[in-house]
Amino acid sequence: MKGFERRDGFAVAELDEEERLVVARIVADVALLLGAESFGLDGGAEPEAASDIDDPFAHLRGLEESIREPSDPAILRLLPNAAPTDRDVAAEFRRLTDGELRSIKTRRLRRMWEQLSAGDDEWAVPADAALETAAALTDVRLVLASRLGLATDDDAERLHEEIDLASHALATDDDGMLPVDPERVWLGMLYQALTWLQDTLVEFVSEQE
Amino acid sequence: MDIERQSQHEGSVATVLDDVWVTIVWNDPVNLMSYVTHVFQTYFNLPREVAARHMREVHENGRSVLSSGPREKMEVDVQAMHSYGLWATMQRSGE
Repeated sequence: MKGFERRDGFAVAELDEEERLVVARIVADVALLLGAESFGLDGGAEPEAASDIDDPFAHLRGLEESIREPSDPAILRLLPNAAPTDRDVAAEFRRLTDGELRSIKTRRLRRMWEQLSAGDDEWAVPADAALETAAALTDVRLVLASRLGLATDDDAERLHEEIDLASHALATDDDGMLPVDPERVWLGMLYQALTWLQDTLVEFVSEQE
Repeated sequence: MDIERQSQHEGSVATVLDDVWVTIVWNDPVNLMSYVTHVFQTYFNLPREVAARHMREVHENGRSVLSSGPREKMEVDVQAMHSYGLWATMQRSGE
């Protein structure tokens, strides 16, 4: 994996096929959490377009009803309570914004998934889409962080230590003695890789000013 | 003005005119400092140093007030922050 660099006006990272598959899968999973249709493997299907025609008032429907706060903490982190001290303000905010936020986030995730599924080792993000790709990477990292139980800066520090320990154990062929749950290590390493990718992308974005 | 007349009618002019809300962004362990600074700079149209100062306030004090104004405007700001994955809330100023 190589972080984002500027090439011909694009931010370009390099991911091999396996890395792309892993990242594309978690991107699609996060979109599913947000209620998107499954990102198809066949490429071009856009199921929302059809349902829009079926129901031209679909986007208005939610405006009347109150929307329940998500029970999954990961989704709640993507669509947080906007007014923890005032239930009415929080409910009103959710009613007004939930649908639009979900569609903004899924659209960004879908674009990222399409770029990752293009079958090219180079992941090229157009300059004008770099910030929204960084935002989509944040959403994916927020979900991973929630699954990893990272609630404070100290938790994040501890995760780094755990992964260092695990990497050391793996490197010394001592994986029978792995001090942490392998799935946690795997998720943690994915989290770290996406953090690093996002960092290089934000650097690209900041240089544009 | 219509709003004022209506408020006087309800006997709550001061409440309406003083009804200032704030957008607060809270610290989280996920968002990168460079990213938060860039989002503040871009969305709130702040000079880089000012955006960075707000970012440090979030990181070190746990929160920073990024904007203030009528409730409807704060809803827009909070929604924008949520679209970027930042943890933002709104409340009446001074609460």
